[in-house]
Amino acid sequence: MSEGALNDALVAVRSAKGRRYWRSLDELVDRADFRHRLKEEFPALARAASGLNRRDLLKCLGGTIALAGLDGCERAPDEEALPYVVQPEGEVPGEARHYASALELDGVAQPIVGETRAARPIKLEGNAAHPSCSGGSTPFMQAALLELYDPDRSGAPLYMGRPTEWARVDRELAQLRMRLDTTGGEGFRLLTGPVGSPTLLGQIEALVGRWPQARWHSWSPVTDRRAEAIESWLGMPAKRVIHLADAEAVVALDDDLLGAGPEQLWHANGWGERRRAYQAGEGAALLLVAEPSPTITGVTAGDRLPVAEARIGALLSGVAARLEITRSFPLNAEEEAWADRAAEKLRNHAGRSLVSVGAHHAPELHKLAFAINEKLGNLGKTERFLQPADALRPEPLQALVEEMRAGEVATLFVLGGNPVYATAGCTGFAEAFARVPLRFHAGLHADETGSRSHWHLPLAHHLECWSDGRGMEGTVAVTQPLVRPWLAVRSRHRLLADLMEDRRSDRELVRATWSDQHDDTAWEQALLVGHIPKTAPAPVASTPTTSTSFALSASEPERGLRLAVRPDPSVWDGSFASNPWLQELPKPLTKLTWGNAVHVSPALAAERGLANGDLVRVRAGIRSITGPIWVLPGQEADTVLVHLGYGRELGRVSQGVGFNAYPLLGEKGEVFLDVLGGREELATTQHHFEMEEDEYVRFVETAAKALPPEPPKANFYPPLKSEPAWGMAIDLDLCIGCNACITGCVAENNIPMVGKEEVAKGREMHWLRVDRYYEGSPENPTHAFQPVPCMHCEDAPCEMGCPVNAAVHSPDGLNLQVYNRCIGTRTCSSYCPYKVRRFNWFDYTGEDAPEMKAVRNPEVTVRSRGVMEKCTYCIQRISKARIEAKKENRPIRDGEVQTACQSACPTQAIVFGDQSDLDTAVSRRKASGRDYDLLPEANTRPRTTYQARIRKGETSE
Amino acid sequence: MQIFPPAADTAVRFAVLVLVIAMVGLPLGAWEYLQSTYETQVGWVQDQPVPFSHAHHVGDDGIDCRYCHTSVETSARANLPPTHVCMTCHSQIWTGAPVLEPVRLSMATGEPIRWRRVAQLPDYVYFNHSIHIDRGVACRECHGDVTDMPLMRRAKPFTMQFCLDCHRDPAPALGPRELVTHPQGLGWTEAQKRAHGERVMRKLGIKPDELDNCGVCHR
Repeated sequence: MSEGALNDALVAVRSAKGRRYWRSLDELVDRADFRHRLKEEFPALARAASGLNRRDLLKCLGGTIALAGLDGCERAPDEEALPYVVQPEGEVPGEARHYASALELDGVAQPIVGETRAARPIKLEGNAAHPSCSGGSTPFMQAALLELYDPDRSGAPLYMGRPTEWARVDRELAQLRMRLDTTGGEGFRLLTGPVGSPTLLGQIEALVGRWPQARWHSWSPVTDRRAEAIESWLGMPAKRVIHLADAEAVVALDDDLLGAGPEQLWHANGWGERRRAYQAGEGAALLLVAEPSPTITGVTAGDRLPVAEARIGALLSGVAARLEITRSFPLNAEEEAWADRAAEKLRNHAGRSLVSVGAHHAPELHKLAFAINEKLGNLGKTERFLQPADALRPEPLQALVEEMRAGEVATLFVLGGNPVYATAGCTGFAEAFARVPLRFHAGLHADETGSRSHWHLPLAHHLECWSDGRGMEGTVAVTQPLVRPWLAVRSRHRLLADLMEDRRSDRELVRATWSDQHDDTAWEQALLVGHIPKTAPAPVASTPTTSTSFALSASEPERGLRLAVRPDPSVWDGSFASNPWLQELPKPLTKLTWGNAVHVSPALAAERGLANGDLVRVRAGIRSITGPIWVLPGQEADTVLVHLGYGRELGRVSQGVGFNAYPLLGEKGEVFLDVLGGREELATTQHHFEMEEDEYVRFVETAAKALPPEPPKANFYPPLKSEPAWGMAIDLDLCIGCNACITGCVAENNIPMVGKEEVAKGREMHWLRVDRYYEGSPENPTHAFQPVPCMHCEDAPCEMGCPVNAAVHSPDGLNLQVYNRCIGTRTCSSYCPYKVRRFNWFDYTGEDAPEMKAVRNPEVTVRSRGVMEKCTYCIQRISKARIEAKKENRPIRDGEVQTACQSACPTQAIVFGDQSDLDTAVSRRKASGRDYDLLPEANTRPRTTYQARIRKGETSE
Repeated sequence: MQIFPPAADTAVRFAVLVLVIAMVGLPLGAWEYLQSTYETQVGWVQDQPVPFSHAHHVGDDGIDCRYCHTSVETSARANLPPTHVCMTCHSQIWTGAPVLEPVRLSMATGEPIRWRRVAQLPDYVYFNHSIHIDRGVACRECHGDVTDMPLMRRAKPFTMQFCLDCHRDPAPALGPRELVTHPQGLGWTEAQKRAHGERVMRKLGIKPDELDNCGVCHR
């Protein structure tokens, strides 16, 4: 895109009257081209048709008709039925069973309730009974289910890359034990990721106690410097917890609070609660963000300032100076204004406000933020410090690397994680690792680290082992297996117990950790609800070491490009790279799938003449990476953003997807972009399923305001009346664009993944998409997310189009798709104004590995080739509730049916229910002045409606 | 010069005749085929690992359906009895019978008995036993009189038409709830059945116009 074109477009945008929404810069610059694309119902067909002449086409057509006809004439094959030999107690064939358990991400327990059918876990939901979860989930929690069934998981120990037996591993561990007993553990090093499990900590403590010369090192691919800041500020280590539910004004400096990661559920729960309270007129819900590159936190904020990462310190000092804590560094006019606003909001809501700095920033910044919170009286309220639950503390990775280089490490046991891949280029871990004489790696996959180790030991997934962990606010969550392992795997607890010749079972190990506090009844209750009550650590009693001076380094005026390296919103630090549900999940802001990109600002792209997909080399110091460009509106002009987690060497799913950004992690200096001339196609869903131009997203100024009333529309058809009348309300003000709904839908409705090439052709199968719209200038646009499932229109255009009556309406208002009637003309899709219908271009499921078949929900049909499908409002859940209600001779209760997207949403943005009853949650939402229909001029009477986004976070302005 | 000999006329007439017969016959034949018991499997028995006789167990011994099909009142699936259930009796009686060898083997090895399904619906049909039982649709309405079946066979064609006939006019099938498992029923006349069924429909608010909706069975 040329500079001129972009500038013209910017002028056009600024001069335009009324609101203009756009989805990408291409659309903003070239309206004509965009209109042309819209005319093509199936852009995917344009490419498929090329290279085919008339004769071939006729041959194919004839063959298709003949074969399609024969396809339907088969008699259903005879099936076998295999009953149980002894039916497990409580098991009812055909009925689901639910177990409370917990997953773990970077040492933080993610409480879940797992649904199992015939002893197969098929769906995970957040466990609202746990104090650190008020319902909802995250994409990582949902996709953990597929990780369990991953056909690429290693299922047998490897010695020097060859499969071996556990008996041999046991012999090796016994030898190691004897050696360690004689030497006192000299030269033995244990390397783990962040450990949250008290049982595992106890085992490590026992290990170090038994072999005093042994050392435990812990590392996390994602930089976290907050812990050192806390220790230096409080004079003791502590765990920090922030309560967004109580914070009326939040100032986040380069801190992606709501973004993907272990803390996402807790923060999104809190933000949703606060925002709903604000909507109900109880206090404010202000969020002010300064950040180098847009995050979902930043775009949710009412006040966002794009600022270079190096300016965060100065900006924080500016806020602190206005609160009379320290002196300010010089700020420019924009920064001054932002700091003024931030300080004012913080002061106005003293005691109910919060300042937070991104974990990767220097400890000095964190300490200053803590001091601001202390001065404002937020400590113990919105920001709390809890006593560390464990005395033992790990040593850092860098110390281990130095010891390995010096040849002091005889045996390295890597328990979980993939440090060979996921360490910064400057650490030199991989080279030093190769020098260790005996290397063990325990992990889910035989990954980069596993393949470079002498022994690779397959780990059990969290859904198939006993463990424990601490939720965000400290309460212990118990992990109990939802399924018995079918592979020859062992849990982390088992491996350490085997090493120390501890004969107790995993269950006994976990039980023993909590034996002093809980009798058997309490333990069973804990398993039932998924947590052990009253196990949250007490608040820290000590007062902070008050210092008036903060040694912030005066940031010099920055010149040149600066790099920001962040974990990926879809595959995190690379741990989810072999998970297709996450690989194909469109990233919240760029809508990229299957890969990462070098993100640059529109200004930089215009200056260098860069367009999406152009290959560039990013050089920093002596290291460089090569990747395609992605122009990201809202990014600070001189920031270059890359995501971690891609460019894997191994794995059927992950290999060759994207580039590895780890070599650049930790680079602080200037970076350079070299244009390489080539191009790489990126699979983005940004323009897929576009609707005709309209005010898709709407805004109101404050929570008290309503949208202008719509004039009543004439309609030939009488409104559909029924009881119940299913409807959905999606509050755009609560949606943070986290994608939990999409992954929840994928898991519930057996949605196939299609791969990068097919996504690039616009053939992704997600029933629910989350559109992201921009408004305003590309330098700092307002963003809005809009989840779009099927609207279940009362006057549905798709139903008029279907030649075989496969799209029909049910009496309770569902727009049904009858797969066994569908012949795949795709007329319904071309008639659908919302573009929510998906077509099975191929048989995506027939060749699936048996594990992948096991993950499917037996309550939902697996669709075949040539069939149209779409959101059903989770009809299987409605059917279940309807049958249960009929059996008890009562109406279906409000809230009894929760769609998968609704139960996955961490902020309760989605509400589903009976809209014929005015006293249901969905009717109350729809009665709000912010309620509107998508594409009202289509006059389809959609059952899914939206609530307008609110621009301001307080009503008093 | 004549290209076609006079016999060509006959050939053409014959071809036209064949065509006409084919046009009428093929669809008719296809229709007949679809209705045939070969396609619907009505009356056909399957070879089973154990020649289990419903006629004996239900008819002679009077064992209730729910003794083995335990979850029929609570779950979508009626459940085939676990080996353990067979052995509740057969660990005491007929302990050495050769026909029961597969049952004893299953109990000893933990390998399930591989029955061959008699009642089977396509995968895109979601049938729920419990709600039908709850409304008083007797087992025999779909599975027939099993006291007459030394080997289990399909009594009714499990076609969509069969399901719809009842969903559009459920009254005759709605019997007394407490007698759903009675193998022969009360011997009511059609009119008595209909009168009772209509009372049930009024009491439970069963609306046939909602019962033939696609989404009731397909999802």
